[in-house]
Amino acid sequence: MRKFFRTVVLLAGLAAAPYALAQAPAASAPSASAAAPADAPAAAASDTQSLDQSIQSLKSEAVDLNRDLFVLEEELLFPANTQVAVFLSMDVGDFFNLDSVSLKIDDHEVANYLYTPREVAALIKGGVQRLYLGNLKVGDHELTAFFNGKGPNDRDYKRGATIRFKKAIGAKYLELKINDRQRRLQPEFEIKDWE
Amino acid sequence: MSPQQPVRAALASLLIVLPAFFAAAVAADAPIVGREAPDFALRAAHGPNVRLSEHRGEVIVVSFWGSRCSTCAAQLQALDRSYTIFRSAGLEILGVNVDDDQRRAAEAAGGYSLQFPILLDPQKGVSRDYRVDNLPMTVLIDRDGRVRYVHRDFSKPGETLYLQELRGLLNE
Amino acid sequence: MRLLQSLALCLSLTTLAALHAVRAAPEDPDKLPVTRIRDLHYGDVLFYVYQDESFEAITRLNAYEHWKLLPDHQAEAQLLLGGLYLSLGLHNEAGRRFEALLTPDIPAGVRNRAWFYLGKVWYARGYLDQAEHALRQIGGRLIPSLEAERQLLLANILMRQGKFAAAGEQLAAWQGPADWTVYARFNLGVALVRQGRLAEAAPYLNTAGTIETASQEMLALRDRANLALGFAYLQANQPAEAKTALERVRLNGPYSSKALLGTGWAESALGKFQDALTPWLELRGRSLLDSAVQESYLAVPYAYARLSANAQAADEYEKALSSFDAERTQLDASIERVRGGGMLDALLGADKDRYRGWFWQLTSVPQAPESRYLYTVLAGHDFQEGLKNYRDLSFLSGTLDRWSGSMDAFENMIDARNRAYAQRVPRADALLATNEPDEMLRHHAELASRLDEVSHDADFAALGSPEERAQWAKLQRLEADLAAAPHDAANDALRERLRLVKGVLYFRMSGSFKEREWEQRKNLRALQAAVREAQSRWVRLSDARKLVTGDTGAFEARLADLHRRIASLQMRLAAASSEQNAYLERLAIAELNSQKERIETYQVQARFALATIYDRISNEARPAKDAASGAAPATQHSPAPAGEAPP
Repeated sequence: MRKFFRTVVLLAGLAAAPYALAQAPAASAPSASAAAPADAPAAAASDTQSLDQSIQSLKSEAVDLNRDLFVLEEELLFPANTQVAVFLSMDVGDFFNLDSVSLKIDDHEVANYLYTPREVAALIKGGVQRLYLGNLKVGDHELTAFFNGKGPNDRDYKRGATIRFKKAIGAKYLELKINDRQRRLQPEFEIKDWE
Repeated sequence: MSPQQPVRAALASLLIVLPAFFAAAVAADAPIVGREAPDFALRAAHGPNVRLSEHRGEVIVVSFWGSRCSTCAAQLQALDRSYTIFRSAGLEILGVNVDDDQRRAAEAAGGYSLQFPILLDPQKGVSRDYRVDNLPMTVLIDRDGRVRYVHRDFSKPGETLYLQELRGLLNE
Repeated sequence: MRLLQSLALCLSLTTLAALHAVRAAPEDPDKLPVTRIRDLHYGDVLFYVYQDESFEAITRLNAYEHWKLLPDHQAEAQLLLGGLYLSLGLHNEAGRRFEALLTPDIPAGVRNRAWFYLGKVWYARGYLDQAEHALRQIGGRLIPSLEAERQLLLANILMRQGKFAAAGEQLAAWQGPADWTVYARFNLGVALVRQGRLAEAAPYLNTAGTIETASQEMLALRDRANLALGFAYLQANQPAEAKTALERVRLNGPYSSKALLGTGWAESALGKFQDALTPWLELRGRSLLDSAVQESYLAVPYAYARLSANAQAADEYEKALSSFDAERTQLDASIERVRGGGMLDALLGADKDRYRGWFWQLTSVPQAPESRYLYTVLAGHDFQEGLKNYRDLSFLSGTLDRWSGSMDAFENMIDARNRAYAQRVPRADALLATNEPDEMLRHHAELASRLDEVSHDADFAALGSPEERAQWAKLQRLEADLAAAPHDAANDALRERLRLVKGVLYFRMSGSFKEREWEQRKNLRALQAAVREAQSRWVRLSDARKLVTGDTGAFEARLADLHRRIASLQMRLAAASSEQNAYLERLAIAELNSQKERIETYQVQARFALATIYDRISNEARPAKDAASGAAPATQHSPAPAGEAPP
């Protein structure tokens, strides 16, 4: 009797026993891990499953729809034949804190971008930013760009570059490259015409 | 981010041969409450540049102030208090100074020893986007990036209401 | 956009939501061989990936692929896309992308990664055999973090398949980073315990339970290992070992309540009831929300009873009963409120009607009365998944709203464009049809050759001024007339006169000839320049005309289609949101109900125990009377148990 009582209460205690397997700790992309089913004594398993399935297909549809909207917007506003796109990339050995970049086409200012630490980190990792998208007539044009930022030792840097280019029918891509190829601890600026 | 590229700006840049005949899509003069908060990037008085959209997912309070406006000081202190309390629940506060003189703005900001970033909008582009017509003006933005409440001026009852709204937004 | 926002929530309160964990690493393409970016647009996608903006990245990646702007990054793009889909929870899409990469012409490195991610996909969907198969296809090693994840994943799969020996072997052979292996050992240990194989489980859990670490995550894991081990020993009737393990659990950590409970039981199993009271009394002073604390309300009087302090035991049981009663009342009220939709209102605040309500990442539970009961359910896997879905749906709905806003602007644009085209295109076409530049060119050619003739023939007269030419013409006519006239003195004199005048005129004209020729040449050149200018403008015009594809009709059709799709999707998103809401409500109610049942069970036990104690008390009182009347005392050493306890 005694044992029974104790066992009985003990088992109640075990109701709280932690026999859960280790769940994923705080991490960024949980989906694959967290979605492991089978063991999960979900309240209404089939409920969850079908709801989950419909949500998945909704998400998938939303992704497709977003792509179509993005495509339409660009084709409408920046048709391929007149489009000009200016990209920005960084290839620096030591850390360079880019603060801002300004862009002029044919003496009109078309872009003036302030960079946050998050964006700079993405550029340094190898991301290339599509800084500007616009339309231009066929013919000769001039692009001028300035950047400023802080290099190692908190030194301020300001650089500019200019390029003349021909716009034909069809999209034109230009790349602003910030690099310290010379490894003189000085960032340089060049503009590449992707003909 | 492209899908959110202001259509107006895009329209303004069209330069095809046939004369530009797109009606400049002038934003209607509707109030900004309920609309998506216009994105912006500004330099900070101290520290790195800040972009509004990088804080999506948090509740954001954008407060426009000037160093010459009398009630702004008290309001900034009140904001600082709420920042201390609610920061860990996902609150971000951005103080946007609209003085022409950036140095004066930075000095004023330094004087208050605030914990949240002070941003500088000397060109007043952001103030225009947010239709700032009074100082201080405080805009509360929800985690989805939508403007939910706007406070003009600062007062005790106003502060109470502000805290209530803030709690609501943080709990969403 | 912050779909990858980390779920840093009360994992410490996880209960029986049994899940295998894979220590999730971000699907990070900076683990891809970062080759030179050969397509600028691929770099643009990476710009967003590196900022954790997966949705933006997916949209652009899909769009750029549609426009065929990524010819040099095909394989990587597929891999990246798969990873991004995976992070959005879209396993099917992800799987498809990865499978497409399993052909021999894909470099081995990329293929390995595809197999790895495919393994994760299968695992997430519960297809363990396929998952194992996929993971075993990986030839060679992946980069360290992915490799570690692969090992853990494989171990988990083997455990879930019940192949514990194989899992154990794999762990033994694995030289991974310490943190990861600890997770694996913990999982294996717990899995074995659930199979009742404590002896095999113990070494793993002991290792996990004695790691040296300072990280919060690891400390929590260590606590859990010790807790699991401790309770396993209790169940196996090895209280001394149980005590050792339980005493390693941090007193100020999230698992301390359960540890205290278990320690009490261990002491009690060793017969040391006074010692058992120490942890139990400590526990009893804590919040009744905790199930361990609830049990301590019964455990404490139980200990008193075993120590024969019957009066005290009875007292404690009474207290327990009244506390449980109060708690039950509160639970009932909460259940009612949740059923009435009250929970959501309290959590969402006033804007529920205007806004599709949703929870964000709850780092602090809002101040509603039922919040206190929901800590457990909020931390549970199902709730978290539901919450994530809810957030995702809200986010997607928000992006569509933004697009909706732009749609009007697009329509206006297309309208304006149509109207302008209607005006201008016909004019342009008419103009182009006239072929003006060619005319001008021909005209110029004619003039040029005419001038050449004049130069060649030194035709001074041709370049004379109008008066001079008129005079010249007149003189020539006179000459002709005179030629026919007879030769007489008068006529001869006239002829002579004529010859002189003509000579003078000729002289004058020849003098100016060079100049005039030069002048004319200049004019011709100017004309030529003008013709060229006209020609190039013509070219530009006809180019521009070509650009006017004239199929804004196509745009309109697309716009209408997209409009329709947005509306339809928004509706379904809203429906799914409220279904998800309802599901979350059901979870909450289930949790509240189960808490209520537990309390009720404890109450039943308490009542029985109380009855027994009273019996005992009255029996003890009797010997005094019997002694007085000479009857033999009946003795009872322990309260009779009663009822079933839910495990």
